[in-house]
Amino acid sequence: MLPFLLRRLVAAVPVLFGVSLLAFSMTHLTPGDPVAIMLGERATAEDVARLRSELGLDFPLPVQYGSFLARALRGDLGTSLRSGQPVAREIADRVGATAALTFAAMGVAVVVGVLLGTLAAIQRSPVVDAVIMSIALVGISMPTFWSGLLLILLFALTLGWFPITGSGWSGLVLPAVCLGLPAAAVLARLTRSALLEVLSQDFIRTARSKGVSASGIVAHHALRNALIPVVTIVGLQFGTLMAGSVIVESVFARPGIGRFAVNAIMARDLPQVQGIVLFAGVVYVVVNALVDMVYAAIDPRIAVR
Amino acid sequence: MPKPFGHLLLVFVVAATMAGGALAQSGGTLVFAAGEEPETLDPQRTSTAVTGLIMRYAGDTILTKDLSGAYADGLAESWEASDGGLMWTFTLKPDIVFHDGTPLDASAVRASILRALDPATQSPIAGSLFAPITEIEIVDERTFRIHLDEPFAPFLDNLTDPRGAIVQAAAAAELGVEFGRRPVMSGPWRFSAWRSGERIVLERNDAYAWGPSYTRTAAPSIERIEFRIVPEAATRVAAFEAGEVQVVSPFPVTDVPRFLGDDRFDMVSFLRKGVGRFMELNVLVPPFDDVRVRRALNHAVDASIMVDVVLEGRGIQAYGVLPPSIWGYWDGMSDYAPTYDPERALALLAEAGWTPDGSGTLRKDGVPLTFTVLSPPFDDAVRTAQIAQQQFAEVGIGMQIETIEFGTLMARAKDGTHQANLMGYTYANPDIVHLWFHSSNIGTGLAHSHFDSRELDALIERSRTETDDADRLEAYAEIQRFVSDQALWVPFWINDNFIGTSASLAGAVVHPDGFLLLNDATLD
Repeated sequence: MLPFLLRRLVAAVPVLFGVSLLAFSMTHLTPGDPVAIMLGERATAEDVARLRSELGLDFPLPVQYGSFLARALRGDLGTSLRSGQPVAREIADRVGATAALTFAAMGVAVVVGVLLGTLAAIQRSPVVDAVIMSIALVGISMPTFWSGLLLILLFALTLGWFPITGSGWSGLVLPAVCLGLPAAAVLARLTRSALLEVLSQDFIRTARSKGVSASGIVAHHALRNALIPVVTIVGLQFGTLMAGSVIVESVFARPGIGRFAVNAIMARDLPQVQGIVLFAGVVYVVVNALVDMVYAAIDPRIAVR
Repeated sequence: MPKPFGHLLLVFVVAATMAGGALAQSGGTLVFAAGEEPETLDPQRTSTAVTGLIMRYAGDTILTKDLSGAYADGLAESWEASDGGLMWTFTLKPDIVFHDGTPLDASAVRASILRALDPATQSPIAGSLFAPITEIEIVDERTFRIHLDEPFAPFLDNLTDPRGAIVQAAAAAELGVEFGRRPVMSGPWRFSAWRSGERIVLERNDAYAWGPSYTRTAAPSIERIEFRIVPEAATRVAAFEAGEVQVVSPFPVTDVPRFLGDDRFDMVSFLRKGVGRFMELNVLVPPFDDVRVRRALNHAVDASIMVDVVLEGRGIQAYGVLPPSIWGYWDGMSDYAPTYDPERALALLAEAGWTPDGSGTLRKDGVPLTFTVLSPPFDDAVRTAQIAQQQFAEVGIGMQIETIEFGTLMARAKDGTHQANLMGYTYANPDIVHLWFHSSNIGTGLAHSHFDSRELDALIERSRTETDDADRLEAYAEIQRFVSDQALWVPFWINDNFIGTSASLAGAVVHPDGFLLLNDATLD
């Protein structure tokens, strides 16, 4: 397990390097001068030049990148052009809310997805199967901004069960459902097909012949094997969920990294955009490494290979 | 697998209970839905409107405008000009203190203004509000004199801008950038909390006793004002309908009809302080280097159709560069401006050498009369452009619409290589004409027509240095006629703005500058 872990970590280094290069260069490729935007309409050319030099924007790009990387390694993501606050602190302020939303959505996705997928696979009625798979199709197809507004309309405005805006656990339910349902639909379809495949294999027949109960077969033998592809997709879905939080956070007026990113891009706040892209990249790499480890724990053959 | 369901049910019940609690607002908290989050609450370091709005409640300006729009007392109880408008003497009200208890006296005002002017503050707006000041002289504890480099008529107006609110400069120096997260001001509500991305909370300033004379001067009745950050317009409206927020401003026009006549809500409307949509024509490039073509465009558009279609009737047609809602608007503008008259448009174009070919397309030396207009990616702008496109096509002018991101549009309009662009503005002061038309703003400011005229510059300078109101009004009237004669713009429309308030809010007044005055307001 340890060498496998080390290999994973070493492999992450070039990826992170690429992410940092991308984060740095993308902000220099977009049109519009952030300094001019920052200083407003009445700024003179001298004002712009002065601020450019203060921010180090007049150095050659490789030099700027080098200092960006050196500071990032120390956890210093620079200072926001607009608020003057350290970007690392601004991200730290919001990361909790996005993490709560992402994990809650992941919880909804796994519970609902695996449950529905298992149900569709083990029961014998084609009608139930068709209904569940139709729900899954709708779940995948419906854009979150639309399902979010529908959830607000039904559960907040009409039934009054949940608040529309606001923090706390009650405010987390609708956004988590909204963000988690498309992922649940993907997992339901995947669980169903993986489970059907496993259930047709020889060792299941063996278990059955040994007299293991139907529920015992699914819980102890089939699901464990069927979950290997599911875990991979859960890891991949994590990135999708983080990206989806941009929309869900806006619709449900929740604080978080997604909305912070949109505002930073709109305002061309270079250090903020760089910081967020870098941070999101690191999170993604770490989550993928974690998924690989879970994968190895479920299927010991993986680590050996 | 009963367990997950059990937990889910529990979450459901708990959540529903908590939601019920949140809905029952405590009597003294007014929740505002804000569309964007401020980048900072330091009024001197911001250019965003939302910080300006919050400063209306947390801050005080030297002067204010009363409900008729006339200059009125703010922190200063009296003021007078001398030396031909070069010197202004202000006397502060007695016993004013900042939220941290330190006195707000003449030297505190001076320190605040000097901070705004200090290049190190990098002030995008406040610095320019105070820019004409050369010296601030302290006469006694409550009296100070401001010296200007030249008579500058919009100066008093600048003193009423919420970005010019007086800050506790010593606290600002001590806190550094942190001042933007917890500003020390002097207004009727004081800063209490800011949860990033979620809400900003102000609490009543019980020591307040220096409110403007046209409203309650003592501490207000509403105990807390919460600005909840809700970026989605549809969510703002839903939260308003559910009673989670009591004020939505601006209220989305498309949702207005649903709330009219519902006695749980009040809708107030006022004409926008600015022209909502207009087309700027760049005089540097063909075909708009010919004034006849520019005037022909003005005759070819029937903007009343745009008011009906784009605004659904909620607004008026624009005739010039200033709206009737700004002081300085010339009453004769609607009669003076070019009217919808396709025949006249064709005649002007024929005079300029553009004649219709067999298919009705206008050509000169075989080249068709076409141009490209840059439009920002806003729904109302694109729809307006499409109507204009159709109307121009009817007289034989081809117009392509290029929809681009707003920052890029501004950059291209500034460098002057474009032909035309759509724009809109909000500004409470007629001095906006300086930004749109003075030659010093070509390439740097908003003079996207790139029209360099000594005559127009002189008129604009006169409007700024003239201290007599009647003379200033005449200067503004001349500017409006001049721009119309030169047809630098094709003005389209001015929309109504709406503010939605819950019926539980009483006594709130819409100020002529377009915000809710809450000093007298109460909550059920």
